[in-house]
This record gives sequence, C-alpha cells and structure tokens, in this order.
Amino acid sequence: MVAASAGRFSEAGLAQLTEIVSHYPDPGGAILPALWLAQREYGGWLPAEAIVEVAARLGRPASEIQGVASFYTMYNMQQRGRHHIEVCTCLTCGCLGAYEVIDELERILGIHLGQATADGEFSLTEAECLNYCEAATVVQVGERYFGGVNAENAADLIARLRGSEECTPVSLSNAIVEAIVPGYFASSAHG
Amino acid sequence: MAELQVLLQHRNVPGIDGIDVYESHGGYAGLRAALGKERQGVIDEVKASGLRGRGGAGFPTWIKWNGLPKSGPAQHYLLCNADEGEPGTFKDRELLLKLPHMVVEGMAIAAYATRSTNGFAYVRGEFVESAAQLRKAIDQAYRRGYLGRNILGHSDFCFDLHIHTGAGSYECGEETALMSSLMGERGQPRLKPPHGPLPVVSGVWGSPTLINNVETYACVPHILTHGGAWYAAMGTQRSPGTKIFSVSGHVARPGNYEVELGTPLTELIELAGGVVGGALKAVIPGGSSVPILPAEKCAGVTLDYEGCQAAGTMLGSGGFMVFNDKTDIVALMRRTAQFYAHESCGKCTPCREGTRWMSRVLDRITSGAGRMEDIDLLLSICDQIDGRSYCPLGDAASWPIRAGIRNFRHEFEHWVRHGSSPISGFVPPVRSHGPASVPGRQE
Ligand SMILES: Cc1cc2nc3c(=O)[nH]c(=O)nc-3n(C[C@H](O)[C@H](O)[C@H](O)COP(=O)(O)O)c2cc1C
Ligand code: SF4
Ligand code: FES
Repeated sequence: MVAASAGRFSEAGLAQLTEIVSHYPDPGGAILPALWLAQREYGGWLPAEAIVEVAARLGRPASEIQGVASFYTMYNMQQRGRHHIEVCTCLTCGCLGAYEVIDELERILGIHLGQATADGEFSLTEAECLNYCEAATVVQVGERYFGGVNAENAADLIARLRGSEECTPVSLSNAIVEAIVPGYFASSAHG
Repeated sequence: MAELQVLLQHRNVPGIDGIDVYESHGGYAGLRAALGKERQGVIDEVKASGLRGRGGAGFPTWIKWNGLPKSGPAQHYLLCNADEGEPGTFKDRELLLKLPHMVVEGMAIAAYATRSTNGFAYVRGEFVESAAQLRKAIDQAYRRGYLGRNILGHSDFCFDLHIHTGAGSYECGEETALMSSLMGERGQPRLKPPHGPLPVVSGVWGSPTLINNVETYACVPHILTHGGAWYAAMGTQRSPGTKIFSVSGHVARPGNYEVELGTPLTELIELAGGVVGGALKAVIPGGSSVPILPAEKCAGVTLDYEGCQAAGTMLGSGGFMVFNDKTDIVALMRRTAQFYAHESCGKCTPCREGTRWMSRVLDRITSGAGRMEDIDLLLSICDQIDGRSYCPLGDAASWPIRAGIRNFRHEFEHWVRHGSSPISGFVPPVRSHGPASVPGRQE
C-alpha cells in the first residue's frame, strides 16, 4: 500500500507507515498519522519535500496533503525553535497569571510572542486551552506539560530547557507515533 | 454534601492504569456481564440507566446505540471522542491517564451492542501522555482477550481498537468534523439531518458509526456490572447518574470532582475549597461555550441538564470555571472571542467572519477605543451567527458573548466611557499572533 518514493523516511518509519495504513479501510485515514511520522523524520517540521514525500507514499496529490497539513496547528509548516514554548492564555490561565508569565519569558528570551531566538533555541507562542486548567498557568513544550508556572519560576523553566538535549518538536512527534503504532506490526496481526 | 465517585473511585489506587489492578477492582466484569446478554439486552440496560452523553449535548446514549442496523453485512465503526478541547474541561484527559481500561472496556461493550468490529479513539494531539496510557491499556487488553478476535471466547464478537491522534483543532471535537479528520481531511463538519444522514446510518467511510465521549464510555462498565436501575437511582429523574466536573479558576483546590447530577452549584464550589482571592463574581458552569452566570444568579441552581437550562445556562461538558471579583469580564469575553475566531474552521461565512469581527470589536473596546454602539454591534453580530452557521461552533461562539453583555453590560459601558477597566489596576494584555518560526532557518 505504501508506494516507493524519494525522501527521508527511515526504514523504521516506513515500517510504521505500512502498519498505520493497515489500520484504515481507506489509505486516506493514514494521512494525519503519516504527517506525524513525516514531522519526526524531517526534524520537527514539514518542509515542502515532506509534503511531497507523504503524497507520493500514499498516492495522493501534494496539494491535498498541503491543504490538510496546513489546517492543523500542530503540524509545523515552518521550523520552530529547538524548544517550542506554548503558554496557555485561555480563560482560566489568562485569569491566573498567564500574561505575566509571557511578559517574563519575553524579557528572559529577548523576543516577543510569535518569535524565535536568533540561535534557534527557543520559540514562544500563545496557546488555546490545553485542558489542564487545574494546573494554571500551563506551559506546553513539545510532549511535556508544565503546570503552576508563574513569573517567579519562569526562569527555572528556561534554565531546565537550556540544559536539556531534546528537540521538542521531534520528540513530540515521536511520542505520538509511538502511541498510535502498536508494538506489533501488521504481519503479526492482532489477536 | 460530598462527592459520589463511581468513575473516579479508584483513580488514586497505585497501578489502576494496569490491567491486573484494574481487574482486581472489578474491571472487565461489565464486559463479561454484557457478553452474557443478547445485544439488545445490553442496549436495554443502558436505556434503563438513563445515561446521557457526557460530551456536551446530553443526548440519550441508548437511542444512538439503538440506531445502528441490527442485521446486515455492513461494517460498523465505533469512535471514541477524546478530542477534549472545550476550554475549562479536563476530565477526559484524566480518565485516559489514570483509568484507560475503563474507557477500553466501555468501548468493547458498546462494540458488542452495536455489532461494531472496528474502533478508533480520536485522541487530542496534545494529550501525549494520555494517548500513551491508552496504548498500553489497549495492548494489555488484546493480550487478555478483551480485544481482537472472538473476545472472551464469543464466537460472534471481534473488535479491533486503534488510536488516531488529532493535530490541533477544537472543531475536530464536533462529531462530523472528527469523522472528516479521521478520514484524512481538513477538520470540517458534514451535513446532518434534516439535510444529511445521521452518523449511525452513514458516518465514517459511509458506514454506520457510533460516536460517544470518553466519559460516556467510562460509565458503561459500571452500568453493566451493577445494572441500569442502580445507575438511574443516582442523580435526578431526567438527569440520572454522576457527572465529572472540572473545576478551575479562583478556587482553593481546582481539579476533577464527581458528583451526583442535581448537586447544588454552590456545593461544588465548596467541594473545591471555596472561592479564593475575593468574593465570587461569576461562574461558567459547562465550558467556554455556555452562558456565564453572575454570582447573584448562582444560588439555587442545580447541576443537572434541566437545572442549568432553567438558570439560563447549560451543563455542557462540565468545565466549571470560577471567577472572583478581581476578574474583568470584558477582557474575559475578549479572550473567549479570540478562542472562537482562532478555532472557526472557515467553512461557513457567519461563523468565519462573525467570530473575527467579534474578536476585533472586543479588542477595540479593551484597547480603550470602544464606542458605545459597539456593545449593540456585538449583540447584532451574535444574532447573525446564532442559528445561521453550519455547525454548533458558531452558535457556541455567540452564546457566551451575548450572556456576558446581558449580565455585565455596565462593565462594557465602563470600558467605553473611561477607556479603562472597572477593575482597578487591571491592564488588558495586547498580543500579537506570529508564527514563532525560526528566522532564516526555513530551508
Ligand atoms: C465545536 C464542538 C466541539 C466539540 N468538542 C467535543 C469534544 O472535545 N469532546 C466530545 O466528546 N464532544 C465534543 N463535542 C460534541 C460532539 O459533537 C458529540 O456530540 C459527542 O462526541 C457525542 O458524544 P456523547 O453523546 O457521548 O456526548 C463538540 C461539539 C462541537 C460543536
Ligand atoms: S460554524 Fe461554520 S465556520 Fe464555524 S466551525 Fe462550524 S462549519 Fe466551521
Ligand atoms: S485555560 Fe489554560 S489549560 Fe485550560
């Protein structure tokens, strides 16, 4: 079902894509998961070649894949910082100090909301409700949530991230792929 | 009054996310009980329980289940709506994180009742940890014979369950948009009756499809284990059972609280430790989409579908947000409008344009440049969206703004007159919305 194509999918990635396609009665269903895979394989975002490769592998027009990918906010159509920081400013967090957190992060990082640091280490954006409101203010960095963030401890968060090896957009995509692809592959079928 | 925990009773038992501990606390007894009945018997049990959908609309669960074809060769699909995106709600995330087997068991029971052989849990993309917990539970359930072929030796029951993750879109929680997204499309809704088919007739890939919320499925094992009558004895007559409320905002102990439906609203605030930082000003009881309730209207309101409606609001998803008297309601409404403008899928004009205009007019008011006629302009935009949009997101964008103006019009007028907040010292945030990409590093 998965067609040959030039591109950057690893062997493991192709095996996972093959498994994913088998979950759906129509290969269209595999488009969203395939984009998650591509985002991991392409280093945390979806350059034009990634769209072209997903389209070729699934036998769809690239324009369709581009149209789908660009609808969803978690597919990065541009490269993010190595640590992509999303601060929830929605109803609860917004009333419990989220904007002070943003002011402090802007000050520490020397950037404004919607920007990235020149060294590419951090990007900063505002998020809609992350549905973790009991821990307001909530900050998401890739697959990790930080609760109870405030203007006082924001600097600790940045220090912690600076020391971390991770590239959050890649690790996020990887964690999602691991959750949607079972440990066993199609050949060893369920049950 | 105290909590009445049915779903959350064992949420803090160590290892309850694993299959052994879950089984030792009564897990999968509901599935065994279901398989001891005819399929219709399972639906009848759910009917007797009076269970209503916990995703927001409160639709009777059994009617949906009963609507799928009872015979014939068609492939049936079963979907779990775990796209929880309604601001203020965080119950499904905790259920999946701590009690994933309860959701798997509920889905398996529903699959048996509706002859569904293929299931997808559509999990919000941000819920990475919850998705990992669900993955683990699904794998364990396969190994124990609760999923897969001939479940528990039943010759006529096979059910495969997959996880599909979203990728950041509130609208994908709307059931037909979720189906579009599952099929690999942009998350835009489809026609429903009277213009299109019900999902139980023609849903995902044109097949009969059942969709329920995470919490709805989590209720099902308990109903099958203890009986529909037992469940119906809790709550009120028209809103039976318990409901999880996600309490957040200005309370001492925010978190998920499970109470009987019909519990007084003020008791839930007390359960969460009471209001902090000032006196109670307002409550949004059911997620950002429902009308805000000012403090003076909270007394006597009961938390059930009818009680909330009588008070002029809705139970919704149970996202219960509490605000003290330091809260600027106009700024809160501005942020609400920003949410809907961001999440509008763009398919229909009233919502796509209207949510944007609401957001811009509210920006103008909170920037200090508002005009008195802007308040009625907002109301007129609400009227032009409500009932005129393709799916309920548009309606849901207009309700909170309209209620905000009706209940707190004096605060809007204060903003217009003085160019500043009625709350002393409150400075509204002015924000940009750039893409946060790395400069010069696009290949
Ligand atoms: C804009 C919008 C967002 C929604 N988001 C969710 C959601 O995140 N989770 C959910 O279960 N239902 C959500 N719903 C309701 C679903 O359309 C649907 O009614 C529900 O999944 C049915 O399940 P239930 O009968 O078990 O409640 C949403 C509806 C709309 C209009
Ligand atoms: S109301 Fe219209 S534009 Fe808004 S989300 Fe629904 S279909 Fe999309
Ligand atoms: S408002 Fe921030 S997580 Fe919900």
